[in-house]
Amino acid sequence: MVLLGLRNLFRAKTRLAVAVLLLALPAFLLLVLQAILTAVETHTETLKRNVDNSLQLRARGSMGHVNMQGNETILPQSALDTAIRIPGVAAVEQYLLAMTPTEGHNFAMIVGVNPGETRRLESHGEAGNPRIVAGRDLTAADRGQRVAVIGQGVARWARITSDNLASATLTLDLKRTHPVIFALERPPATLRIVGVYASGYVFGDMQLFVPIDTFREIYGVPEGISWLFVRAVSADRLPEVEAALRRELGEAADIIAPIAAAEFERTTTRAVRRFSAIGSALAAALMVIVVFFVTLINVRERTREIGTLMALGASGAGVAASFLAEALALAALGATAGAAVFAVAGSLVPGQLFGVAVSPFLPAQYKDALRGALAPAAGLGPSGAGWFLLATAFAACAGSAWGLRQVVKLSPVEAIRHE
Amino acid sequence: MSDRAPGNSQAPLVLLEQITKIYRKDTQEVRALDGIDLRIESPGMVAVVGPSGSGKSSLLHVIGAMDRPTGGEIVVAGRRLAALGNAELTAFRRNTVGFVFQTFNLIPNLTALENVALPMEFNGVDKRERRRRALALLDRVGLAPRATHRPGELSGGEQQRVAITRALANDPPLVLADEPTGNLDSTTGQLIYELLEEIARGRTVIVVTHAEPLAQRAKRVIHIQDGRLVS
Ligand SMILES: Nc1ncnc2c1ncn2[C@@H]1O[C@H](COP(=O)(O)OP(=O)(O)OP(=O)(O)O)[C@@H](O)[C@H]1O
Ligand SMILES: [Mg+2]
Repeated sequence: MVLLGLRNLFRAKTRLAVAVLLLALPAFLLLVLQAILTAVETHTETLKRNVDNSLQLRARGSMGHVNMQGNETILPQSALDTAIRIPGVAAVEQYLLAMTPTEGHNFAMIVGVNPGETRRLESHGEAGNPRIVAGRDLTAADRGQRVAVIGQGVARWARITSDNLASATLTLDLKRTHPVIFALERPPATLRIVGVYASGYVFGDMQLFVPIDTFREIYGVPEGISWLFVRAVSADRLPEVEAALRRELGEAADIIAPIAAAEFERTTTRAVRRFSAIGSALAAALMVIVVFFVTLINVRERTREIGTLMALGASGAGVAASFLAEALALAALGATAGAAVFAVAGSLVPGQLFGVAVSPFLPAQYKDALRGALAPAAGLGPSGAGWFLLATAFAACAGSAWGLRQVVKLSPVEAIRHE
Repeated sequence: MSDRAPGNSQAPLVLLEQITKIYRKDTQEVRALDGIDLRIESPGMVAVVGPSGSGKSSLLHVIGAMDRPTGGEIVVAGRRLAALGNAELTAFRRNTVGFVFQTFNLIPNLTALENVALPMEFNGVDKRERRRRALALLDRVGLAPRATHRPGELSGGEQQRVAITRALANDPPLVLADEPTGNLDSTTGQLIYELLEEIARGRTVIVVTHAEPLAQRAKRVIHIQDGRLVS
């Protein structure tokens, strides 16, 4: 009977094609929503991992960029040891920052980092999640070497692509100035570019990460720290750590608690979750309606046939099973078509839809970051895929339920006499 | 109460006692069958004739367990139909009766062979055996070469031969045919009738027909009028 149902699917070809298209649309939408949700939840996870337990320290009243007008003051190197000794501190990460002009009034950020430690993004330090998209990351062997990993914005400016990456170099001219950048009387430095990362937003992509020892050498900063990130062993201990830091370093440092993951979750993640739940429910309802009408038409149209099958000895349940199989196969085809479109256009649409439908509900500071993070990551977690399959099966069952009821209630005579 | 009629071995294949079938719609009441007593003992062809609306189809439907009578007792092949539940009625229709329709009622997207094999599929016969038997049956009516054709590719007479073959798939003791020649010209109808006669050598065939000359060839003719048998 199941086989019979599957064959019945292909009887009315035009109807099948229309139904599959009508199902593909909500299926696609469902996938897009799941992709957005996945992206936002990944983002939340990143925040939790990198931010929740951390505080940022900068020299009091300064951005801590070694060549930025009025912001060149940096923390003393001793701040690192002071911070490390505070009870409840799990780790400290030090960074040095400088700016270099690019085109017009634009500039890129040079960040000295200990290879292996978190690559933080200026002004989105809390939200950044840069991923290597070409080449490699910095490694311990790079310490002191003239190498850099750059954002794709910098790569575009320097005309570095994955094709010419193997021989790519970039020269920093420390004498070049800019309305906010002052000249340093130091020789230019040529860096070998070993990797390109993507952060998902424009400004985040305008950074160069170099090993911190290399930075010190190039900029002539033997000691001192632009940013000091202090991570507590747990979020619970953070207030205690913060109090100790204020006590010990409060004179010299501004202590900044980045917007916490909890805050992000309370606003953004929740808004996106709600939006995608409503959208998914609507899309699933649309699928249910399509299956409903197709099944109903089929049952009406084949009433005599149903009677014939019953006269030949098929049970009502058996015939209903064949219609259910047909509905499931139809929903599966629609879902497959939707998934195919998603595979092709899935990297574009989530960003668009996000911009139009989701971002109005989000706090301003996250919109760009999230929207950017979406585009390359139109992936779907296993839970997203699971939901999608579940929704498809649900649409098939719920949509065909009424039609199946009609089938089971039908007596052979009624069906055969049906005109 | 047992669903087996007493004195099973002596029991007739079909036994109807005081069968009534009343269709009700709102306050309207139609007595399609009105106190029918009928015994059909031995194999052979039984013709049912009567004017339109006299209850011929209704009679066939209650005998074939396609519909339940409003009152009375039916025993077919030793089974009291009133005592059977839905699942048992399904099995009864599958094993005990074969139904032939005026409009053939072949499943349009299945081939002749698959149509014939369908009742065996419902009976759980395995695929190779279904095929073998369906082909043998089609061969008997000269349609083996058309086994892979769909109903739309067959003439009316050929379709009805396939339908008759399908009715025989599970080798039922009783075949019910409701105006099987009604949609065919008289020559083709004649052929179908001969086929039914041949089938009726080994089993009981009850055939409803308007064609008087055909009815006269039956072993027995039952006249029905206003839901009652007339002699
Ligand atoms: N579902 C129904 N509801 C109401 N009346 C019905 C129904 N089915 C049949 N009837 C009535 O029952 C009577 C007997 O119908 P039936 O179909 O058995 O007649 P028939 O002898 O087969 O007629 P025909 O030769 O035209 O096929 C008719 O008056 C018909 O209108
Ligand atoms: Mg009739």
